[in-house]
Formats: sequence, C-alpha cells, structure tokens
Amino acid sequence: MPPTLISPSENDYILRGVDANIRADGRGRLDYRQVILETGLITQASGSARCRLGEGTDVLVGVKVELGAIELDGVEEDVAEIKAKRGRVICNVECSPIASQQFAGRGADDFNIELTQMLDRVLNGPQSGLDLEKLCIIPGQQCWIVYIDAIVLDYAGNLLDTIFMTTRAALYNTKVPKTIIQDIGDGEIVFDISDDVEGWERIEGWDKVPVAITLNKIGSRHIVDATPLEELTTEAKLLVTVNKNGKVCGLQKSGGGSIDPSLLNEMVQTGRSLGQSLIKSLDEMVRREENDINLKQSRRERVEKLGFFAAT
Amino acid sequence: MRNKLIQSENLCWLLDEHRPEVTVTPIIIKSSDKEKILLKDVNGRRRDGRNLEDIRPIFLKTGLISQANGSAYIELRQTKIACGVYGPRQTKVASFSGKGNLNCEIKFAPFSCLKRRQSYRDAQEKELSHLVFEALAPSIRLDLLPKSTIDVFISVLENDGTASCLAAAITCASVAVADAGIEMSDQVAACSASYIDGDIYMDSDLLEEQRETGSIVLSYMPSLNEVTHILQSGEVEISQTTQAIEQCTDACSKIYSVMNHSLLESVKDKMQ
Repeated sequence: MPPTLISPSENDYILRGVDANIRADGRGRLDYRQVILETGLITQASGSARCRLGEGTDVLVGVKVELGAIELDGVEEDVAEIKAKRGRVICNVECSPIASQQFAGRGADDFNIELTQMLDRVLNGPQSGLDLEKLCIIPGQQCWIVYIDAIVLDYAGNLLDTIFMTTRAALYNTKVPKTIIQDIGDGEIVFDISDDVEGWERIEGWDKVPVAITLNKIGSRHIVDATPLEELTTEAKLLVTVNKNGKVCGLQKSGGGSIDPSLLNEMVQTGRSLGQSLIKSLDEMVRREENDINLKQSRRERVEKLGFFAAT
Repeated sequence: MRNKLIQSENLCWLLDEHRPEVTVTPIIIKSSDKEKILLKDVNGRRRDGRNLEDIRPIFLKTGLISQANGSAYIELRQTKIACGVYGPRQTKVASFSGKGNLNCEIKFAPFSCLKRRQSYRDAQEKELSHLVFEALAPSIRLDLLPKSTIDVFISVLENDGTASCLAAAITCASVAVADAGIEMSDQVAACSASYIDGDIYMDSDLLEEQRETGSIVLSYMPSLNEVTHILQSGEVEISQTTQAIEQCTDACSKIYSVMNHSLLESVKDKMQ
C-alpha cells in the first residue's frame, strides 16, 4: 500500500530484472528474505509472536483465549448440532498508522477488511487444522474463543505471508488453561479453571495451520516475497495457502491482471513446494527458540528477547 | 426463427429456451432426511440427471432493464440473478485517476436465501462485491476511461448455492457490461465446482454445497485464454485442484458460447 505510483523506467527496471532472475536486492525470483521470528513477547496475551521479514515488514500477533458463550441463535438445526460442541476463532488484522501515512484514519479500513477476510477464510473452517472441539467446555453453553489479532507495525511488502507466518507461531505459543468440570446435580454444571500454568496445553492442531505464499506475476514470470515497488509492478497476485501435508487449503487471485491457465498451475505448484519448506523452517525456528529458553531457564540464566522492531 | 439461430448441436442442451413460467417453492427437508439423499446414483448421475462434469442449462438475456445502459438476466434453474450497468459517467469525487473506476455491488434480495437477509449490505455481500470486481476488472479497458466510473449493480433474486451464485453473477455482469457498449478485451465467464468425497461436482447447487469439503470459483476469458480470478477454499490435493481448474476452464468456454449467443440475439433484436 505505501507508495502508490511507480515511474515507467522503474517499472521497466524491475521487469527486466525479474526476467533475468536477479532482483534489485540481489535475490532470485523464488528467494525469500530473511525471516526473524520470536514468540512469547506479550505477557498479557495467551500467546504471541512477532515476525520481521528482511529489512521491513513487521507483524505482531497476539492471541487471547477467552471464555464465551456458544451462540446458537438463528442457526439451522443441523449446523447448531455441530456448533454446540465447538469453540470459535475470531480474526482481526489492523494496519497501524505508525507503519504508513496511508494507514491513518479511515484510509486503511478497506485494506484491513480485505486482510481480515483472507485470514478468516483460511482459519475459520476445517482447513485451518485447529481442533475446535477441544475448545468446547460445556456443550451448548460455554467454550473458549480464540481471538487472533494481528497488528502491522512496519510495511515493506508481502504483508499477507508475514501475517500467516506470525499467526502460526503465535498459535504455537498459545496455551489454553485446563478446566475441571463438575456436575452438581439438577442438570447444573460448573467448571473451574486450573491456575497451574505448567499444566496448560497448546491448542490441538496448531501444526496443521497452513501458511500462505503470495506469488506475484510480473511479465510472464512469477516471484515470491515482493518488495513494495515490485508489488506495484505486479500484474496479478495469487495467494496459495498450504499446510504441512502439502494440501492446498485455499487459492485466491487478486490484483488487476489475468493469468494464463498453464502459468496458474505452475504458480500453484511453486506455492505448494515453497510453502512446505517454509513450514519446515518455521517449525524449526520456534522449536529452537523454545529449547534455548528451556536450557537457559534450567541454568538459571536470564532469558533475553530481541524485542519489538529489533532485527538482530 | 429461434431454432435457426442455434447453429451448433452442443449449444442446444446448454440453452434453456423455455423460461419456467412459475416459481416453485423449495421443498423443506428436515435435517434427518437430508442425510438420506444421495448426491449421485450408481451410474454417477446427480439428483437432477446431470453427470458430475455437467453444468446446469443457462437462460441468459440482455437488455431487460429499460433505464440501465446495459443489463442482463441469468437463470440457472433455481439461481436467478439480474444485473444493471450504469455509466461510464464522470467520477463524483474530485481526485484525478488515469484509469476508470469500476464499482461493483452485489445484493441478495431479502427473500433469496433459506434465511431472510437484511436489507442493508452485510459483510458477505461486501466480500462478494469485491470478488466480482476482481474478476471483471482485468477484462474491461479501464485505461480508456480516465476520470470515469462504471457502476455494476447485481441483485440476486434466488440463491441456490453461494459459489454458483457468485459465478453466475460474474457471467451475468460481464454480459451486461458488454451490452452497455463498454470496451472490453474479452468477456469473462465464470464457473464453480464443489469437492465432495473425492469427486468434483461442477456447478453445484445448494444441497451439494452444504456437503462439500471445499469449493472453487474460476473466472476465465476464453478467447484470450487468461484466468481473471480464482478462489478456492477447503483442504484439497494438488492433483484435484489441477483437474478442477481444467474442468472449470472447459465449462467456461461452454458458458462463453451462450454469452455470445445472447449478445448476438440482442443485437439482432435492436436491428429489427
């Protein structure tokens, strides 16, 4: 979103670079920028993660797990049956005005809605992989509601991929309190929330949450992880979401141009293989971080986080 | 006279020549009965006699709305959509833009779905409006219309499956834009499909949609061989995705012939 205009010569420069498989920052067409991922930065949240892509894009995701009533008003009979046994996921993406002048005031509204919908479409459905039935406390009455709030702190292209990556890491970091259910007779059920933090559990199925790869069609070729200028040159974008089993969990085209069907297939294939390797490296990243923390804690050393906006 | 116009044999089955005279109220099925309905029989035929890869017959007519610059009406059995195009007109906001604006709005009639819809625009309608915009924008020569706006208003009179509704809306809007005489690089045909139990059901209806594990909507410009929009949801094997894309592009080419036919008809009507 930030720069909205590009000069024809700049456009041409990017176009030729992509054609020659070398981009302005020295990357090839299918190279990702360096990913910095950190989890557990926010103590008030049930889970949080922050991701920085290269020199720019910075996304912070906080997950809050809260108690809520299961809403069954005005839902059809057979849908209600399934819904009564499930928790819920609610997504929200907000582009903070600090990231860009264009995000100030009402300017970012449409953009925010679009991003929220894209995240919501993937996470609110069976393809999200999350076991929502585990989030139900008393069927038909109480459940856990998982609020996923993403804030864009800095913008340097490829926002959506970063949001998905951060969300996945934040869900890994999320711990849901255990509940103890008691039947006190007369059909009344009460439950206690365990305060034993050690015993809290991850949301089941976090590892099946898909990641997204945005493929940008420039000329007759496609690139990943575009910078803002490259995004302006982009004729059409294709968002491919993939889970760790290599299944496609969603496809969406955006941007003004059109794509040849054979190129479309090629892009889906590329997105799938890149997505799978991305998941692998992300999983390794969060696991290594956790092991580091555990090791330091056992040695009674201080655990230091990089913190917001930090790159190294 | 009419029969003469249909040249190719394969167009015949696609064209719904006789528009149904009456609208039949939907049969209300209890949830316990719903499970018993088989989506396809042993021969692989669906409830309405279609094969898995067949689409519903299409009724498409242009120029039914007198006040609009261009209009179209589409009917795929229970799905009924009308579209009106106004413009190009001068953009009201003073800011300059070198390209024309395309404003798409889709609205479900309050009585169009199983549940009554509110009269104001809800989140789903906004989302669908945006999808129609994304599918149409690549086909319209907006670069030839600086400082102008085109309004595309779509109203869904009857909804038999949201994905097929979106596809029909895109097809209908494209014909309406062409009817308005706005310059386009090609027409956009759209088709939807559902993934159910490992099969691909082309142009699925509401009941099939309720049991789907995933769906795809593809918009395609057959003459240029370019995909203008794709939206897939659900967890799907990549081989199935590839197959669905292929089947959808084929179906779009068929729909395209119906679109061309109806536009030709309208030109002939005007000349008389």
